[in-house]
Amino acid sequence: MNPHHVRVDSRRSPLGGHASTTSRVGPTLAFDDTRHLTAHRWLVDEAYLLDEQDYPAWLDLLTEDIHYYMPVKVTTALGAGYDTAPGMAHFDENRYSLRQRVARFATEHAWTEDPPSRVRHFVTNVRTFATDRDDELVVESAVLLFRSRGDVGEPALVSAGREDLLRRCDGEWKLARRLISADESVIRMQNLAIFL
Amino acid sequence: MLDHGTVLDDVRRGMTPAHIYNDREIFDLERERLFSRAWMFVGHESEVPEPGDYVVRRVLEDSFIVARGNDGEVRVMFNMCLHRGMQVCRAEMGNATHFRCPYHGWSYRNDGRIVGLPFHQEAYGGEAGFRRKGQTLLPAPALDTYNGLIFISLDPDAPPLRDYLGEFTFYLDYYTKQSASGIELRGPQRWRVKANWKIGAENFAGDMYHTPQTHASVVEIGLFREPKAEKRKDGCTYWAGRGGGTTYKLPPGTLDERLRYVGYPDAMIERMKANWSAEQLAVIGDNGFMVSAASVFPNLSFVHNWPKIEDSDDVLPFISIRQWQPISEDETEVLSWFAVDKEAPEEFKALSYKAYLMCFGSTGMFEQDDVENWVSLTTTAAGSMARRLLLNNRMGLRSDDSPVVPALTPDEFAGPGVARVGYGEYNQRFLLRDWADHLERPAVRHAPVEVGTPAAPRLGDDLAEAGR
Repeated sequence: MNPHHVRVDSRRSPLGGHASTTSRVGPTLAFDDTRHLTAHRWLVDEAYLLDEQDYPAWLDLLTEDIHYYMPVKVTTALGAGYDTAPGMAHFDENRYSLRQRVARFATEHAWTEDPPSRVRHFVTNVRTFATDRDDELVVESAVLLFRSRGDVGEPALVSAGREDLLRRCDGEWKLARRLISADESVIRMQNLAIFL
Repeated sequence: MLDHGTVLDDVRRGMTPAHIYNDREIFDLERERLFSRAWMFVGHESEVPEPGDYVVRRVLEDSFIVARGNDGEVRVMFNMCLHRGMQVCRAEMGNATHFRCPYHGWSYRNDGRIVGLPFHQEAYGGEAGFRRKGQTLLPAPALDTYNGLIFISLDPDAPPLRDYLGEFTFYLDYYTKQSASGIELRGPQRWRVKANWKIGAENFAGDMYHTPQTHASVVEIGLFREPKAEKRKDGCTYWAGRGGGTTYKLPPGTLDERLRYVGYPDAMIERMKANWSAEQLAVIGDNGFMVSAASVFPNLSFVHNWPKIEDSDDVLPFISIRQWQPISEDETEVLSWFAVDKEAPEEFKALSYKAYLMCFGSTGMFEQDDVENWVSLTTTAAGSMARRLLLNNRMGLRSDDSPVVPALTPDEFAGPGVARVGYGEYNQRFLLRDWADHLERPAVRHAPVEVGTPAAPRLGDDLAEAGR
């Protein structure tokens, strides 16, 4: 592992105190491992929900202690030891603030999504890790979000890596933590009225 | 060819030619006559707290390093090597004792002085060929600060910052001086929007009228204590010196009760009372107005609001500082910082940051809908029909130019400048009047700066002395 690579970590957030600290254990699970197949399927199903902007259904997939965190990336010199703006994120969400965001889209006055964007989440490079708990898995993926609005402006892209913590609750897998590593320091999209 | 005179005259009577929001010729004029002169925000001292700390910021295309030298002084230096023009710093932030050009290895101390010039003797014959002694990266032509806010001007003859800001400093203190220690900044979030830079500046300067419509959704989901967005019209707008803004009318109560109403803890209230003037306190305590959005000409804005951030009736106030950095006539990079009083309790800082993220910035539920409007407006302003349309931005004025509502008296509003209750576009007109005044004045040619020759001004002489 490159010693200069910095992982996104809930503990760097001023609001990450409630987040689960479960981390990966051991090597990548085999691609025919049932746990990997389960996690991969979960991500693909989720991507369809997000593309359809079925946010109430998406909200049901999140645990009560969700930390949904996308720090602001900055360009720093090699070896600086950090590549995010200290104490600043695009998303630094708990269940309450995500619920409010979803509730807003359900009003008739969320103009930025009326008319709605056409969005497509391309999810790839999926790999899964076990944790020291049977009911939790860490799954990493790359996501490319394509978003087109109207018929005049150019479409916009957001590229990011994600490290998710999935937890089995009453037989159902839910998202307990999502750490999003944006690939741009300056977002080239008019807003992030979407979820990654 | 553009008839500037007509455009500026129309702007001054509140009839805005729609094309000024997407016009290459106008943008070229803004670059030549406005951004070349006005005081431009580049950061806050709290962003570079330690010796060697730096951030890199732009004024249009010009890249500047804002660095705190080993001597503790904050300088702003043009980010271009004196030799072949390479950027000497390619990171956005960090800590460095030196900036070393990767091209030929010239290096500069964090105060700008050249310290390394490879093969100086062999390549130049030493000082006889290139006078290294006392030579520095080009400093910003003018640099000044207010409450730790760092501004530069590309005009060496710019008036002092305080003269430029004028009486708006009275209002700046609400955002940036809640205690003797002032604010600390976090961020910025940066993102690009296909909108003209003036739209955000005008909106924050005085557009209370858009709130009930544009931001209906955030009121509907219960983000605020007030159940109706129309409450906005009870507030007032004010303009003073080089800036203006909007306020909310607070419910009846004492100064303390009103500051508590917007969510400030008592310890912070005590510090505000110790740091703000009697007049600054009277605007809140006696007049019942609390600052919300504001803009300083040309492209710096502020916002203060107090949403609910959890399932409870409590609200949490936050402050954001933002810059509408022009990229072109139809594109703006938004830099949006979260600001908080340095002396605020840590828990307050965390929750205030939460309040900021929910409302403003790249994911903010307010800001999302604003930008949608501004992009749409900019797109439509590019065409030929937009060149025929004079937008009526005369709100608050009758056809004979008499005001719809009278200005508040000093008893009603203790702050400087002119304030009026209700909806009006006074502030947008004030901002565009400053804009027109700048665009009218021909550009000044600045003498080229020659480096390394005997004729070259030796900008760093005083520094070299100090360094000995």
